[in-house]
Amino acid sequence: MGGVYAVISIGLTLVYGVMGIVNFAQAEFLMIGMFVSWFAWAYLGLDPVVAAPLSFAVAFGIGWLVQGQLIARVLKAPSVAQIFLTVGLLIVIENGSLLLFGSQFRSVTTSYQTMSLSLGALFISVPYLIAFGMSLACGLALWWFMRTSWFGRAMRATAQNPMAAQLMGIDTALMYKIAFALGVGLTAFGGAVILPYVTVFPGVGGQFVVLMFTVVVLGGLGSVAGAVVGGLAVGVIQALSSLFFPIQLQNLILFIVFIFVLAVRPQGLVGASR
Amino acid sequence: MKRWIAILAVIAIAAVLPLLLSPTGYWIRVLTFTLLFAAMAQVWNIIGGLANQTSLGHAAFFGIGAYTSTILVLKFGISPWIGMFAGGFLGGIAALIIAVPTMRLQGHYFALATLAFGEVMRVIANVWTSLTGGPVGLSVPFVPPSIAAYSFKQLLPHAYIALIALIIVTVIFEAIRRSAMGYRLRAIKENPAAAEVIGIDTTKVKLQTAVISGVLMAMLGTLYAQVAVFFDPDTVFSAASISIRVALIAILGGVGTAIGPILGALFIIPVEELMNDLFSSGAAGLSQLIFGVILIAVILWRPRGFITVFDSLMARFSNKARS
Repeated sequence: MGGVYAVISIGLTLVYGVMGIVNFAQAEFLMIGMFVSWFAWAYLGLDPVVAAPLSFAVAFGIGWLVQGQLIARVLKAPSVAQIFLTVGLLIVIENGSLLLFGSQFRSVTTSYQTMSLSLGALFISVPYLIAFGMSLACGLALWWFMRTSWFGRAMRATAQNPMAAQLMGIDTALMYKIAFALGVGLTAFGGAVILPYVTVFPGVGGQFVVLMFTVVVLGGLGSVAGAVVGGLAVGVIQALSSLFFPIQLQNLILFIVFIFVLAVRPQGLVGASR
Repeated sequence: MKRWIAILAVIAIAAVLPLLLSPTGYWIRVLTFTLLFAAMAQVWNIIGGLANQTSLGHAAFFGIGAYTSTILVLKFGISPWIGMFAGGFLGGIAALIIAVPTMRLQGHYFALATLAFGEVMRVIANVWTSLTGGPVGLSVPFVPPSIAAYSFKQLLPHAYIALIALIIVTVIFEAIRRSAMGYRLRAIKENPAAAEVIGIDTTKVKLQTAVISGVLMAMLGTLYAQVAVFFDPDTVFSAASISIRVALIAILGGVGTAIGPILGALFIIPVEELMNDLFSSGAAGLSQLIFGVILIAVILWRPRGFITVFDSLMARFSNKARS
């Protein structure tokens, strides 16, 4: 599970890292990704894992528009305006999908859904394994993109110093669009990948929002490598807390870890101090 | 002088208005909740506007207030008036618990931490069934109507209590804003480092505002419980319909101004009610969708809230009068 947590959270941390904005609507793009993939499965007969790039593309497009039309306008506004713009986005997307798709729960059936591999005494469920593999591939692709491509370098430059980047001839507005679109696209990709074992409905984002923020904060807001570590850590925390506590308290444990990390080490477990 | 006349006129109108509405009707309910939410937004404004710390967890204090007074009535038969102060005390302690570790955080980080705190309280209230009744919720028991027992047959007295509460918290807000503490807070807001240098204990000042805000919010939670009569953890500890809503009201109206939350509540609560009315027969989610669109539009159009519209109108008006 941890690997998947990492990939849905990388998007959030990417947006923060480049633009300095916490996107409260990020989990809604997870929901969008899940819906795209569900429709691809229901009408085109595509496997959710195959449809994941499609989810990515749709969310990328929406993200591009949202960044260009809405968020770009508040980049220099006080943080209150930024927080509430993305909160407004959250309300619009969630209720928009409620309007379009209705409130029923939908899930997919795949051939490998109930299969599991046995590794000695350990049983690993196949959909989890596939999700983990896909997430890993996706994370590596992003890392490679950020490290080696011109866009990746330009984006990192924009994150470090927008003014200097602009003086060097980088179109920072374009970089912000790419970063935001990429960020929500990745989250949607994660949504598609987990579809085989999570049912989708308009409020599904709410179930993941805490988790995503905990992952990101654990790793350090803005740090991609941190999100991977945070994702794995949250996976382990969940597994451990399910051993000792009843299921209702699992989220509580996450919340407490979350507040504790924010209070003690806001730069995250692996992040360097800013 | 003019200012005072204007303020008194507004209070007079607000005091007469409930009498004009049908005492058992729908609109008196809307008015009561508008006043109550205006008061809640004003309380949020103390920390969100004056201390510039965007809290998204005020539902935590609100819920504590609602639960404390109701549990005291249920288990010990203690009047909600006393329960209100007990709730306020616990709300203050809760504010201290969350504020001590998080006050150093700013902007997004603080918003996230407080959001999580509100959710922690919601989960606890859902799980601690023996005390709170769990997800089923609590009903305020019926007692014979009397002022001492805070029980009335009609909504009219509730509307007046909400109005009085709004006036009180607005006076507190203004008093803080104009006091030495208000100036310290403004200094911290403009430049925290400089404020430290000139000898302001920034942590202490911020803690004070957090506790004041927490205490008042919990007390308003009691008022809400008495009007609503029934509530469950997911309503009073709700992130969306309490924490975010009160912050929103203050922000749409104008953060950091005494009139802002009142303008915001006068706009948002009736509009929400109207939309629920108009579209409840239509598809689910439509009214919320429109609400979100309005929110985005207002933030893009007037990031500082309606107060700026109000101000520019006033400026135009006074210019005309002069010429």
